[in-house]
Amino acid sequence: MLTYQFKDNLIYKLHPLTSIIFVGVVFVLALIFSHPAYLLGLLISVWVVLGAAGNLKEGQSYIKFSLIMVLMIVLINVLFARAGTTIIYRGVDIPLIGALEISLEAIAYGLGMSLRLLVIISVFCLYTYTVNPDKALHLGGRLGGKSVLAITLSLRLFPLMIKDFQRISEIQRCRGVKLSTGSLWQRAKKTLPIISIILLSSLERSLQLAESMQARGYGSGPRSTYDRDLWRPRDYLIIALSIMALFLGICSAIKGWSAYRYYPILEEISGLDWILASFIAMILLLPAILNWGGKKWPL
Amino acid sequence: MLNHIDKFRSRYVLILIMLILLMVATLIPENPLYNLNWALLSTMMVFAAILVFFWSFERSRVSSKLIAFIATMSALAAVARIAFSAIVSLQPSTFIIMISAYVFGPQIGFMVGAISALVSNFFLGQGPWTPWQMLCWGMCGVLASLVAIGQNEFRLVRFTVMAGFCGLFYGWVINIWHWAAFMYPLNIKTFLAVYASSLAFDFIHAIGNMVFSVLFGSTFYQVLRRFKKYI
Repeated sequence: MLTYQFKDNLIYKLHPLTSIIFVGVVFVLALIFSHPAYLLGLLISVWVVLGAAGNLKEGQSYIKFSLIMVLMIVLINVLFARAGTTIIYRGVDIPLIGALEISLEAIAYGLGMSLRLLVIISVFCLYTYTVNPDKALHLGGRLGGKSVLAITLSLRLFPLMIKDFQRISEIQRCRGVKLSTGSLWQRAKKTLPIISIILLSSLERSLQLAESMQARGYGSGPRSTYDRDLWRPRDYLIIALSIMALFLGICSAIKGWSAYRYYPILEEISGLDWILASFIAMILLLPAILNWGGKKWPL
Repeated sequence: MLNHIDKFRSRYVLILIMLILLMVATLIPENPLYNLNWALLSTMMVFAAILVFFWSFERSRVSSKLIAFIATMSALAAVARIAFSAIVSLQPSTFIIMISAYVFGPQIGFMVGAISALVSNFFLGQGPWTPWQMLCWGMCGVLASLVAIGQNEFRLVRFTVMAGFCGLFYGWVINIWHWAAFMYPLNIKTFLAVYASSLAFDFIHAIGNMVFSVLFGSTFYQVLRRFKKYI
């Protein structure tokens, strides 16, 4: 049911905070960088980590899903950007937009931004598949009791309601309601009564839930919290190196190295750019390296 | 008590001033924040906005029944989203969030919206869109509760108009991030192009919301109203 399914490798066994910090660092770096070399480095390291976690297939389906967005980004950038100087094609007048003018720079910019989108999508795919939502919510438990409790309860009620949904739609089918044929609108119209039946039964359930919480003494005193997750040296190592990568990234952004000038003419990519970009990417490869090492030399 | 509320308000004002300063800082040259990436900045702002709502929820006195209610309604909206996910943009989640906000007020409405976005994404996949969806659905709840001010019964026309507006509002707010993060130059033309490309989906969402409100608004309202008496 949940997209998270446990797999037996190091990346799944990391402390949830470590995974969140890793994902957060890559996300922030992807937004800071505009240089294609840096973005490419990030993309490669995220995919190697995804591969180490055994989630290549899921990653591919994420990428397929985002291809439409990539196409749109390239298209809109190409159609509307007027700052490029290397014109490839100059064509007919289009109403609203003006003369069609396709420049190499605009295409490059569209592709660069698509690279950024792919990094972001892939790193969130890594998060979705490798971090247990319950454990991630546990981290917030200390900060806010009520909202985290509501989220956890809702996460638990969700599969229950899906089961209700399947049960009730089977009963509806037995009664002759055709749920899978007809136009989209007809189907939607027939599905909504099921939702309203679930509403009735689950409101009843929520009262029982509240009573049982009350009976167990919810809200009678200060909340206690506990931590079940183990901190291992590798967690500290990954956190330290992720923060180092973030620091390097911010430094290079302030120095202007990781910024790339697309307009008016494409900037040349120097060897130094590649070196620094691959250095940052290498730092972020650490979880995959640790996973490989752990398999090669098991304890 | 009053003093407490004053202190609370002053904190909101402080956060607001900080956000505005941050925004202004990106426009003034010769400081480290100059020309900060807008995608990052807008995501930070959305995070701050959600945190303020969650924070005020933490500080308020909420019974266990209300917490269970929020969890139930947000799970229901999430289920509705998944059950209808084959039919893109035509989904009753926004309607469910809005009707619970209409009955229970802005704070509960925001929490139901935000949590249902978060929870359904645990099943559909988390992404940079999660905080934006949380904010959008939460704000749909807040807007719906504004319509309910001073009303003792279900006002179909007001609610339906607001439901239609929320369908458009949802897409329009989410587009901001898409535009800020991936487009160049950031001008009115690219802005309009991004909005035009999502217009069809936004309209389906709006029309779906309106039809759901007309068909099921008063039933859901009666059910929730009766439930409110137990709390």
